[in-house]
Amino acid sequence: MNLVTPEVPRVSRRHLLRRTAGGFGLLGLRTLLADAAPAPGNTHPLAPKPPHFEPRARRVIFLFMHGGPSHLDTFDPKPRLTRDHGKPLPFQRPLTFAEGSTGGLFKSPWEFRRYGESGLPVSDLFPHVARHADDLCILRSMVGDSVAHGGAVLQLHTGSNTFTRPSMGSWVVYGLGTENQNLPAFITIKPGLSHGGAKNWSSGFLPAAYQGTAVGHGGVKIEDLKDPIEFLRNAGLTPDQQRYELDMIQKMNRRSADRWDHDPELEARIQAFELAFRMQTEAPEAFDLTGESPTTLKLYGLDEPETREFGWQCLMARRLAERNVRFIQVNHEYGPGNEVGWDAHSELIRLHTRTALMVDKPIAGLLTDLKARGLLRDTLVAWGGEFGRTPISQAGDGRDHNPYGYSMWMAGGGVKGGFAYGATDEFGYYAVEDRMHIHDLHATILHLLGLNHERLTYFHGGRNHRLTDVAGTVAFQILA
Amino acid sequence: MRWTCCPLGLFLAATGAWAGDRVELFEKKVRPLFVSKCHDCHGAKLQMGGLNLASAEGFRQGSAGGPLVDEANPPQSRLLTALSHVGKVKMPPAGKLSEGEIAAVREWIEAGAPWPPTAEATPAAGAAFWSFAPLAPAAPPAVRNAGWARNEVDRFILARLESEGLAPAPPADPRTWLRRVTYDLTGLPPSEAELRAFLDDASPTARARVVDRLLASPRYGERWGRHWLDVARYADSTGADEDHRYPYAWRYRDYVIDAFNRDLPFDQFIREQVAGDLLPSSEPDGVNRRGLIATGFLALGPKLIAEQDKVKMFYDIVDEQIDVVGRAFLGLTLACARCHDHKFDPISTRDYYALASIFASTRQLAKLEGTVSQLLFVPLAGPAETARWEAHKGRVEAKRKEIDELLAEEGARYRDRLAPGIAAYMLAARAVYLDGGEPARVAANRGLDAALLARWVDYLKPTKERRAHLEEWHQAPEPETTARVYQERFLATVRERNEARARWKRAVEEAQAEGRTPPEPPRFLAGENRFYSEVVAGKGPLALPEKDREAHLGEAARARLHALQAELKAILAAAPPDPPLACAVVEGEPVTQHVFVRGNPAAKGEFVPKRFPVALAGETQTPIAAGSGRRELAAWLSSPANPLAPRVIVNRLWQWHFGEGLVRTPSNFGRLGEKPTHPELLDYLTARFVKEGWSIKNMHRLLLLSNTYGMSSRASHAALAKDPENRLWSRFLRRRLAVEEIRDSLLAADGSLDLTMGGSLQSGEGTDQEFAEARKSLNPDEVNRRLVYLPLRRSNLPSLLNLFDFGDATTSSEGRTQTNVAPQALFMMNSPFVAARASSLAAQLLADAATPDAARVAQAYYRVLSRPPEPEETDQAVAYLRRFPGGDRTAAWASFCRALMASNEFLYLF
Repeated sequence: MNLVTPEVPRVSRRHLLRRTAGGFGLLGLRTLLADAAPAPGNTHPLAPKPPHFEPRARRVIFLFMHGGPSHLDTFDPKPRLTRDHGKPLPFQRPLTFAEGSTGGLFKSPWEFRRYGESGLPVSDLFPHVARHADDLCILRSMVGDSVAHGGAVLQLHTGSNTFTRPSMGSWVVYGLGTENQNLPAFITIKPGLSHGGAKNWSSGFLPAAYQGTAVGHGGVKIEDLKDPIEFLRNAGLTPDQQRYELDMIQKMNRRSADRWDHDPELEARIQAFELAFRMQTEAPEAFDLTGESPTTLKLYGLDEPETREFGWQCLMARRLAERNVRFIQVNHEYGPGNEVGWDAHSELIRLHTRTALMVDKPIAGLLTDLKARGLLRDTLVAWGGEFGRTPISQAGDGRDHNPYGYSMWMAGGGVKGGFAYGATDEFGYYAVEDRMHIHDLHATILHLLGLNHERLTYFHGGRNHRLTDVAGTVAFQILA
Repeated sequence: MRWTCCPLGLFLAATGAWAGDRVELFEKKVRPLFVSKCHDCHGAKLQMGGLNLASAEGFRQGSAGGPLVDEANPPQSRLLTALSHVGKVKMPPAGKLSEGEIAAVREWIEAGAPWPPTAEATPAAGAAFWSFAPLAPAAPPAVRNAGWARNEVDRFILARLESEGLAPAPPADPRTWLRRVTYDLTGLPPSEAELRAFLDDASPTARARVVDRLLASPRYGERWGRHWLDVARYADSTGADEDHRYPYAWRYRDYVIDAFNRDLPFDQFIREQVAGDLLPSSEPDGVNRRGLIATGFLALGPKLIAEQDKVKMFYDIVDEQIDVVGRAFLGLTLACARCHDHKFDPISTRDYYALASIFASTRQLAKLEGTVSQLLFVPLAGPAETARWEAHKGRVEAKRKEIDELLAEEGARYRDRLAPGIAAYMLAARAVYLDGGEPARVAANRGLDAALLARWVDYLKPTKERRAHLEEWHQAPEPETTARVYQERFLATVRERNEARARWKRAVEEAQAEGRTPPEPPRFLAGENRFYSEVVAGKGPLALPEKDREAHLGEAARARLHALQAELKAILAAAPPDPPLACAVVEGEPVTQHVFVRGNPAAKGEFVPKRFPVALAGETQTPIAAGSGRRELAAWLSSPANPLAPRVIVNRLWQWHFGEGLVRTPSNFGRLGEKPTHPELLDYLTARFVKEGWSIKNMHRLLLLSNTYGMSSRASHAALAKDPENRLWSRFLRRRLAVEEIRDSLLAADGSLDLTMGGSLQSGEGTDQEFAEARKSLNPDEVNRRLVYLPLRRSNLPSLLNLFDFGDATTSSEGRTQTNVAPQALFMMNSPFVAARASSLAAQLLADAATPDAARVAQAYYRVLSRPPEPEETDQAVAYLRRFPGGDRTAAWASFCRALMASNEFLYLF
């Protein structure tokens, strides 16, 4: 299949991606087929690629808390709020989401306790996660630009609160490819359909090969998730019959490839069918929990109704991490019976108690399990919502959105444990020390993966684009 | 516009014979005149009307109106008539030159207008960028192999191939050509009958007849309209944050399909989409319905309507429109200039905000204010009809409000009647849910209403969830005391709110008496007394019960409610018909637009009047005195003075036929875009397109009947070596079918494609609950209409569309990518959709028991691949069916049909 003569100039990578994006090129074929001849330039878009420098993390598990958990009631204690409860905010209130229904300062209804050797304070909403305090790197100075969910969720996922851009996971797999070709490189488990919906795992202007694969969506119960990934099961044929059929497809495809001088695109499609056939057997195994011990199931809370759903998602995340999926997102979403999730505009106590209960144990289980299996070292776990919540009350007993200063945390993957980075003011409204804008978060995550955010670019619509737009600073202080 | 054969060449040929005096005349009199009187508008910086008098090249190219010099009759040259102020164009506009100055120019022109080459040191930066320059069409070049060239297109292509020492690929065989052109124009495969008819037609016009037949088919607009819908980033919802439906977007989609089917001249298509609402109407009420619908082009962009910074939100909408207009019609990324002057193209922030002023003076939303802004739906009706409809809506709303107020009053009465019993009912409820008392007996013993007690039990019984406001009650050591505390707090809240309302009413009366704006009604926060809020709302025990509501009303209230309901019914019965609505834009309040420094609306810079980008339209423009300026923008975009718009669309037409444009960045004709592979061809086609009335169908005929289009996609070794990217068009580019073609032809293969045109498949307005399945777009598996008619919810496109590279329907798309990945193979192998198509086709093949298997195989080949099988393929198929594991004949046939559908030959156009 020597199609392209050696003197042919190398076509640019960008050009190839645009033209035959996603194509299993000849280089990709070489890794799959012993008898395939190499050719210059063309690579399989998901083939593993070397990072820019030595990475600290090889994969990411992002635990997304849709709705915006309150930092003031979880990881950023504010004694001043307790002292001044009910008093008016002593400075001009910035733009909030629900103008007109906000009140005075609102103390946290939960106690904070110090945990571990580091003594990091964590509230009673997260007693299980708190036990991992010495592994947590709490980012207390997060800043975003949107006070409404839509823009904020999109910015967290894509860097932009205005335009459609590729999501963080797409950038990561564009930069690094993946080591397991039998599973998608970027999987998001039960993502939400609102606030950007699929835009939050789409590849935007990057080739479609980099888009996230959604497993179910928010609101779907795990019992109803018969096919975690679409089209992996053939409902009508036995494996024998399907292999027989595939052989026919391949015979026909081989025939047309022969007729068309071994057009690499046609050859690549022959390989795509073989890979698809392998995925059919290997991918379902990744989602099959029958091999997991009762102890493990219990560790993630699969034995209790409150934690079952999110526990399943977290356990899947570990199984996918073990199988070297590059970017795994676990979403806590709104759903029937939990209509607003973390978004406690009123009844903070009821809603945050309920939502924290659903995720605390599964997340702690995931951290325990990753550590026990030696995966936490090179897996970056990140936790957080699209913003935090206001130190003033809304509707008398809730909190409004606050993108001006809030908390996320990371664990594993080369970050300092038992460490709190940055700070908000004494009321917890604005980030004031070591401000970490979402662009900085993205720059830091890419850095941990061995990617320089300024070099990870893609040419589109007349210019080079980055996940971090024209901003982003790596928070070097949090690196272990 | 007429053009002569290469005027440039004549001038260059003339440059050899310089007479000193003529050069002196030019340098001493003519050039200084050009510099002092003309360069401001026709110089290196600015080329109004496309004219650049700063270089010989610019002078020779002339203006958009044509060459400046008439070589056949120099005294009649356009330059001289303009300078003499005798024709329509009078230059300079500020005042006629002196007779002596005009005489000097005349003398120079009559001498052949020599422009000394030595003096021609125009820096490259000063020359008009290629895409901004006026059209410079040249005659098709001569070729050696003249027999190959079927039309002008072929001569341009072949001349270049010959100069590179390459031969064009051999012609595609007729079957391949027919499948190629049929998919190209209709997105569907040719039928067996069409194939046979074509193969049997030996006349030289056989191909032309096929093209005419396909162009006349309504399927043509469905395919080519879809191309434009990609450029127009068409979708049926706002996407972004809330993903609200655009319930009437489909009218714009249908308009686009119809425009292509009718071959609406493209310049008119531009004008309608930018300012159709402002164009003259032929309808009696003066409303340009079609034009209004066409402005969906502007109205249907993604919008973040829950953004709380409303100024930012509004200017994001404006920006999105500048972006789509720039990319779609001009091939320019104008929106880059929102925060800073464009880094690469001559677009300043002043240019940007001058355009922003136009869109900001356009009505974009029904209501900007509020947590979620309201989308604008424009009635497609005359003013009188609209007024009637609005008045009716007002009456309905008022009557509903009256009913709501009555029920609120009655609810308060109900609450106040029962409130004194709160403590008693709380204690009784406790006796039931905590002490296990039998409800009926507890009620009877305590003289309470059993139904009401049941509601209190429901409300108070402990749940798994933390309800902070009930914790005091549930943990009370002395329930009697605590129950009274809850009751007292409840009554206190009632009193406080009543008082606040009474104060407000007095304040309103006073304000009205004094002619002041009345104060806002008091707002009560639910969380201030969560117990109260829950008890009086929804299923709370003191909320007027939904069930048997009327039984709880007093006699008078019941009568009043019935009367109001009857009145509402009468109003609804007398409703005028709802006018059809469109997602469109209309004229808004004119704004005074300033530059926003670094894009920040709070940082106002200098004022900018409405106008078009200076680098394209010149520094001196007719001021836009009234209105938004969209009408003027539409006129300028589609005017002969703007060479970009026709170049951009002609390039897109080429791209949609040949897989790549002559300019391979079809939406970027700026400096970061690519240059045309064949600039002369592009300008030839563009000039011809304009001359022939911007007819897209004419351009199809020209391109499709060329031998360039008819080439095989098989590349010779020489072509691959010398032309690996096919920039010389040495062969046809093999392409993968687009998602619409894949899905629609699979439906066509088993005969289940529903060819109904137009209309809406989406219902409702607004958005859905966050996690509702309804948020997903309609599943293409479940509706058999052509894919172009399925509504697109931006936030959740059907996975099939993502799988086969539909794009994101959010920004103007310059073309689809073609990926080739394993999940697509899984779709072919395992999806219920393909399985259903295969089974259904198999069942049809098997329907007549008498048909021999070989004939069935042939039918299957025709239906899926539009060709008969070769003998060995038939043998192979028959053997496949015979040896199918398990021996189930129906399953075997279905499997064979699926294999055909999964084949490369189906998926690719060669």
